Amino acid sequence: MLEKIKELICNYVEVNPEDITENSRFIEDLGFNSYDFISMLGDLETELGVTVDENEIMEIHTVGEAVKYLNKLKEN
Amino acid sequence: MDKNKVRSIADLVRESAKEYGDKVFLKELAGSEVIERSFNDFYGDVRRFAGYVFKKYPDDVHTAVIGPSSYGWLVSWFGTVGGGNTAVPLDALLSPQDICELLVRSDTDIFCYDPRYEKMIPAVKANCPNVKECISFAELPGLLESAEPAELPDVPADRLAAIVYTSGTTGKSKGVMLLNGNYIDNAMCQDNEATSDDVMLSVLPIHHIYCFTCDVLISLRYGITLCFNDSLMHIPQNLKRFAPTAILIVPMIAETMYKQIKAAAAQNPNVPIAAIAQNVFGGRLKTIYSGGAYLRPELQKAYMDMGFIMAQGYGMTECAPRISTADPNDKSCAGDVGVIVNGCTVKIEDGEILVKSPSVMAGYYKDEAATAEALTPDGWLRTGDLGYVDEKNRIFITGRKKNLIILSNGENVSPEELENKFAGLDFIADVLVYSEDSVITAEIFPAPEAMKNMSESELEAALREAVDAINKTVIPAKAIRRLRIRDVEFEKTTSKKIKRSQPVKGRQIQ
Repeated sequence: MLEKIKELICNYVEVNPEDITENSRFIEDLGFNSYDFISMLGDLETELGVTVDENEIMEIHTVGEAVKYLNKLKEN
Repeated sequence: MDKNKVRSIADLVRESAKEYGDKVFLKELAGSEVIERSFNDFYGDVRRFAGYVFKKYPDDVHTAVIGPSSYGWLVSWFGTVGGGNTAVPLDALLSPQDICELLVRSDTDIFCYDPRYEKMIPAVKANCPNVKECISFAELPGLLESAEPAELPDVPADRLAAIVYTSGTTGKSKGVMLLNGNYIDNAMCQDNEATSDDVMLSVLPIHHIYCFTCDVLISLRYGITLCFNDSLMHIPQNLKRFAPTAILIVPMIAETMYKQIKAAAAQNPNVPIAAIAQNVFGGRLKTIYSGGAYLRPELQKAYMDMGFIMAQGYGMTECAPRISTADPNDKSCAGDVGVIVNGCTVKIEDGEILVKSPSVMAGYYKDEAATAEALTPDGWLRTGDLGYVDEKNRIFITGRKKNLIILSNGENVSPEELENKFAGLDFIADVLVYSEDSVITAEIFPAPEAMKNMSESELEAALREAVDAINKTVIPAKAIRRLRIRDVEFEKTTSKKIKRSQPVKGRQIQ
């Protein structure tokens, strides 16, 4: 999951994949704007075949939190 | 549509049904299924909603409407206003407390809501004594089925249509009173903007006047098929599903879409970028309308170069909203916000843009002091924006009046004008310009990538060089004389705008 997210992050910001860690914050550290983040979750929905709940994504700030949330969706 | 026959919202819905009949007006998603409604369907349901209200409430009513874009939202709004009553469209992102406060302040009688607000209904009943009825959009089909359709009355142009609350970042939001004639003037002021072959994808919040007038009213006028996007996460999928010919967006969405196009182009080096862009936008897109915030001229040009018309306009809720709109033949990307719309007069007073037009609001609801501040006695609307008009009648915005820096020598400097000059420099994430001891200072938060990949001295040298280049484009009195660099992000508002009043955090490097 981490690798998949890293790959998608690179579609939005010019960042070296090796520099992305689970602690990286999307907006403050990676330079995302808030729509980049929402759009990336849309990409992940399609790729993973899951449904993201818009009310829950407000709690996601770091790459690690996104990994955890998406893994949970996939298990369900 | 014959503009002379349309003076009110009721006229607009009636005429759209007469002219476009069974053509599809609206497409919306229910799960993966697309539900279609014709102009006739819509007129019928608006008449039924108005009939329901007439029967139950003999006096005038205020109906608040809340939720994401949906057919139920539209029927509630148009059924209210089409019947000569007043709608109160509310921001779907408001907290339950704020919603209750606005229901009280707007004297709302009927509260129409998306089912996701069901949980807050007990709070509405407990805290809003004026609210007589709450109607969920889920109950609407049954309610409409049993209602007697009313003939929409002859609503005068000066009848209050809606109270639209501004999302003021400071103080209480103000209730902009828009008349039937304000909406109609704004929807009718330009000609030949679209045809009934057009399809629009509506992605912005529907309570917002820019989306409401330019997506919904314009679709009714021209017979456009309007498609509701179900989530901001699904814009790419819905572009492919509905293949729109036009879309209204804000610059942040334009930025993200451009990144997606560039990423796809990098993966397909042999495919022209224009073809990739068209594929991303669904295959038929001609026009992108951008509003709501500043659009970088470089980004506008990048879209133009990919074959789109990237039209930037300017307006405000108080003007229903359009003040200027893009000339599709002007491809200069000069940094303007479009040409003044027909019937609107603009004058500049002490640098501030003042507007007079039949679209200008009647005032703020129950707020005479704020109304007197915004409207001059002879009917000019003070926009609070600074700018100028060129010989082609194009408006250029240079900043907000309240942010103006007045130096000790009396010189007025707009910080936004200087900040915008940093746009496009990829080693800068954010910049704030302010006066420090009467010295124009730029405080910069570098892009996170730049902080990793450049040494401190390289970064400082690049910033000094950028400031020198910018200073060459302004008169000496407006030059940036002090430069600060910070390693913590600026404090921002919920809408991601930098808070202007915050302590200096950056170390001085120039």
